[in-house]
Amino acid sequence: MNDSRSTVFNGKVYPSPDAALDGISQGATVLIGGFAGLGRPEGLLSALRDSGVGDLTCICQGSWPQSPDVMDVSELVANGQVKKLITPLAMYPGFGGPVEASWQSGELEIETIPPGVLAERFRAGGAGIAGLFLPAVPGSRFQSGKEVRTFGGQDFVFESGLRADFALLRAEEADTLGNLIYRGTQRNWNPVMAMAGRVSIAEVSRIHEPGGVDPEVVITPGIFVNRMVQAN
Amino acid sequence: MPSSQPHASEISDRNQDAYSMTTPSRIDNNQMAQRVSQELTPGRAVALGAGLPGLVPGQMPPESAILFLSEGGALGYRSAPSEHELAAVDSDGQGVVLIPGGSILSTIDVSALVRGGYADTVVLQPAQISAQGDFSHWTTAATPALFSPGWAWDLANAPGQVIAILPHNRSDGSPNIVSQCTLPVDGPGCVGLIVTDVAVLRVGDEGLVLEEVAPGWQSDDVAAITGAPFSVSPNLREMSFELVSAQLPNKVYSSGLAAIHDLPQGATVMIDGFAGPGGMPSYLMVALRDHGAGDLTLISNTAGVARVIGFGTPVGRLAIDHSILVDNRQIKKAVASFPVSPSPSKPSSFELALQRGEVEVEVVPQGTLAERIRAGAAGVAAFYTPTAAGTQIAEGKESRVFDGKEYILEEALRADFCLIRGYKADTLGNIVYKGTSRNFNSVMAPAARTTIIEVEQVVEPGELDPEEIVTPGVFIDRIVLRPPDFLGYE
Repeated sequence: MNDSRSTVFNGKVYPSPDAALDGISQGATVLIGGFAGLGRPEGLLSALRDSGVGDLTCICQGSWPQSPDVMDVSELVANGQVKKLITPLAMYPGFGGPVEASWQSGELEIETIPPGVLAERFRAGGAGIAGLFLPAVPGSRFQSGKEVRTFGGQDFVFESGLRADFALLRAEEADTLGNLIYRGTQRNWNPVMAMAGRVSIAEVSRIHEPGGVDPEVVITPGIFVNRMVQAN
Repeated sequence: MPSSQPHASEISDRNQDAYSMTTPSRIDNNQMAQRVSQELTPGRAVALGAGLPGLVPGQMPPESAILFLSEGGALGYRSAPSEHELAAVDSDGQGVVLIPGGSILSTIDVSALVRGGYADTVVLQPAQISAQGDFSHWTTAATPALFSPGWAWDLANAPGQVIAILPHNRSDGSPNIVSQCTLPVDGPGCVGLIVTDVAVLRVGDEGLVLEEVAPGWQSDDVAAITGAPFSVSPNLREMSFELVSAQLPNKVYSSGLAAIHDLPQGATVMIDGFAGPGGMPSYLMVALRDHGAGDLTLISNTAGVARVIGFGTPVGRLAIDHSILVDNRQIKKAVASFPVSPSPSKPSSFELALQRGEVEVEVVPQGTLAERIRAGAAGVAAFYTPTAAGTQIAEGKESRVFDGKEYILEEALRADFCLIRGYKADTLGNIVYKGTSRNFNSVMAPAARTTIIEVEQVVEPGELDPEEIVTPGVFIDRIVLRPPDFLGYE
């Protein structure tokens, strides 16, 4: 992958997950791709845990009950690195492991945002849209206190665009320019988080030279991806 | 895969412990799922929430053409054998395999599809339903501050009809159907049909109506274990569990004219058109000209400039573009980014008509046009963009400052009809494009009530790689084959 003939393009490929996380410091906001077992950047998450960087705000699908050898945000929570978790579904109550325990003890703040709203806020943030109006749901606890406006006789609620300092992503294939291809539903949050992260870092199974991926099937153009690391 | 995660069957098995002594017996989870399956429409997207809805795909016949949509981003799938290599998951994170014609969506596209109204039906497992169809998502009283409805919030409040599948009672015997929800409501008045292990109830304007009972059950038996009053349908019947055979709608039309036969006078029509004839639906444009419907509002990138500029059209030939509709006096108004010719010495048909006062124009910056169309498709009413703030385009529009930067409010665009061009389609309407002909086509496809596409090849479902499908078939209503000898110029 680090073909010396194309060093111009290899500036995005980092030698290790640890190196790729350069600059993530205390208090950072970090997006983490993945839904259920697929599309999670486990190597990057392990490196983030090992770095011990704290006070993080993590935004991701949530914590799914896992076997102990599978890495997800709950390990960062267990390690005391997460101040706040913003998520559609933090955990299955009763099955939430460290996330549930830390929330119960008051160490972890959790903000729930429905996934469709969260995704749309990421997309707006990534596309330079300051905010947008989504359909209002009367009495919804996710919309209380927000500006309501009527369009075409229907009420809509203002939601602001959302960006983050870093996005940690997982993809199947890439070229060294950062053009990403996913596999199956590994895709999930990764493309929209790639847009919303100021620094987007992808963990990729196979990294090719430019031209090594079919341009018609690239899902995330490399312009959105700042760094990559080879997945184990 | 999460192995300790509570899946549909476990949840309900727990809930059923308490009624083992009651008679008559309740139907099982698979029978409930079978009953739900009878409500579904072939060829349409059906979004499935977590829990019991995950059992529905397993009840469909193998040739089923229902396109189930999961939160994970699988569109068109069936349950996977457990040994199957995991590449796609349902809303519970359980492995699934795509059916021929299935495709993969990212979370943002799932969200847009659901909010845009393309999931005709959603199936959810609530914790509680009120007599008014209010919906509380499954959760526990043990962690009241964490009532997280997850995707169910998006689904319950989307335009599609909502079917609730749930046990009639909790494990302690208390009813799940109640007069007023005691848990936080996540979808007020959204549930239309309730399928439980003893009954089927419809949520009507006058409250709940008992329509079906499980075998051996009487309406009084159901009333005794329900926490809300209901009326009994005069057509009360026993639940049946037959599988409904799914017949796909035929989306392939014999000609362009046949495909646009019902496009009415005065319609708003999106027609792709970036620069040259490569990506434009010129065959459908000729059909629309021959069809003759007038008074049209055109939403397009250009209002027809290829005819005067060429953009690769052979010398001596005229590109077929929107100009043919203008020349035929079918266009009343154009909403476009490039409504006139870039060359003053080569004025376009629309430009000349504008000078004669025969047409109206609304100029929209290209990126704003794409974003407005995307908003229309995704159920977004309006958005604040920095593009054109402080310019003529901003006149009459709300301006607002965010973080010291000025933005203007732009509203969504939708259309009655959309005419676009793809490269290949399968008969379900899944589309791949070729090169930059993708441009506005893929953005417009979900933004109209009726979307018609012309393609160079029509193939069977399964012949397109699901990872490569750009526009899922749920957005495409009609397909026509562009005749092989049809030229984009005359």
